[in-house]
Amino acid sequence: MTETREITLTVNGTERTIDAEPRQLLVHAIREDLDLTGTHIGCDTGNCGACTVLVDGEPLKSCLMLAVQADGSEVLTVEGMAELPESAGDLHPIQEGFHEEHGLQCGYCTPGMIVAGKALLDENPDPDEEEIREAISGNLCRCTGYQNIVRSIEYAAEELEARAAADGGTDVASPAESTPDVAGGQDGPAFDCGVENCCGGPSLEADEADQPTDGKTANGHDAARDDGGASR
Amino acid sequence: MKAAQFEHHEPSTVDEAVSLLESLDEPTILAGGQSLVPMLRFRLARPETVVDINGIDSLDYLREENGFLTLGALARHADVENSATVADRYGSFADAAPLVADPQIRNRGTVVGSVAQADPKGDWGSVLLAHDGAVVAHGPDGERTIPADDFFLLPYDTTLAEDELATALRVPTPEPREGSAYHKLKRKTGDYAMAGVAARLVFDDDGRIADAGIGMTAVDITNARAKEAEAHLEGERPSPELLEEAGELAAEESNPESDEHGDASYKERMVDVLTQRALADAAERAGVVERRVPQ
Repeated sequence: MTETREITLTVNGTERTIDAEPRQLLVHAIREDLDLTGTHIGCDTGNCGACTVLVDGEPLKSCLMLAVQADGSEVLTVEGMAELPESAGDLHPIQEGFHEEHGLQCGYCTPGMIVAGKALLDENPDPDEEEIREAISGNLCRCTGYQNIVRSIEYAAEELEARAAADGGTDVASPAESTPDVAGGQDGPAFDCGVENCCGGPSLEADEADQPTDGKTANGHDAARDDGGASR
Repeated sequence: MKAAQFEHHEPSTVDEAVSLLESLDEPTILAGGQSLVPMLRFRLARPETVVDINGIDSLDYLREENGFLTLGALARHADVENSATVADRYGSFADAAPLVADPQIRNRGTVVGSVAQADPKGDWGSVLLAHDGAVVAHGPDGERTIPADDFFLLPYDTTLAEDELATALRVPTPEPREGSAYHKLKRKTGDYAMAGVAARLVFDDDGRIADAGIGMTAVDITNARAKEAEAHLEGERPSPELLEEAGELAAEESNPESDEHGDASYKERMVDVLTQRALADAAERAGVVERRVPQ
């Protein structure tokens, strides 16, 4: 029998170490070992895009990658969206967009759509409709006909732009308590990054406890980021 | 279904990879994995050992050097799509890249891996043929260059030896009056080509076609050249009639099979049309023809 290998992933800002067989797919590691079931398996063939996650910032289909290949990488899943600085401790503007614009019906494709949308807006903050449709062209939706998904991402682009303008046009940063600039300072109980259950932020609500909390430390958020950056 | 168990090897140099290929029993090479990983999980492929080349940093490049555009084995489709060099000078590559699969797959899948996979429906083999390109392979005896014409044998079968690693592909840098293009017919994003044609035209100072390359996708058992169409073009000045004749010749040379996307005669007609369009774009990009040939 082939032995498992210890791999370390920085998932949604938190460093996680798991044992993986070489044959294990990244999506299975995410869902079964890390218990992050927001990332869906739709087709098993690399067509549908429901398993899309960001690996080192790039949208990839996590059913087309071995878990061991992601060793040392930073992975963002839909569960991490609300923890990003631009979410300001609430839903990410893309998630808000899907809510406001009715960007889903059954919701199965939604995690992949949201992550693909995030990758687009990172590269291109002001996409036109064609660019949005191209960016989600690897993600299948059987309910919406895509119209409302496009509107949801447009909503997010506008919302992010509005927030950036409100911040003086310097950065798409979160307001007040979670200014990322502070992260360069001393870590400790006094620092609050604004992310739930992290860096002294507000504690996780019971009904949102989708993500295991083991392995997190008071400053785990920053420590994980630093490690992830160095390993790239 | 889970993939069958395999040993996962991660060489960090080409030499290390080649010695693994030499010593292991029937190893399979893993690059972008966008075809291999689903084959593993459906157990269409059951290798005992996988040599994963993603850690060989020296293969992650796309550059012009020594008269060639060279793509290392870790150049992803998206790297071609985003390359300013490609956008400026290599029309067929710039056309083909965004037509491959979908954005996520283009971020991970590799051009060299696609060529080495040798799926007759793959786009890059046709581009390579049209450009008189070559695959660079490393084996126990060192490096060799395999011309595209000698590379493809059968579906999923090439002249690469078991212990050889395709480390790069290369095409000559464009002549002063050269243009190229790729046209692909597919039903929707993510689909393989129903038919595809890559064309490259080089003109002499007189405005005559000095060299023509035409590669066809998904209409034969491998990516295939349209040699008679190429020969018919050489020495001639481009005209709508000439391109029509070339299109007809290419269609005759193609050997498509009927399937759920259409019968063979339909695909031959598509080869005709796509050939004319690709040639027209190539001529226009070479700066020789002002207007596109109307369809």
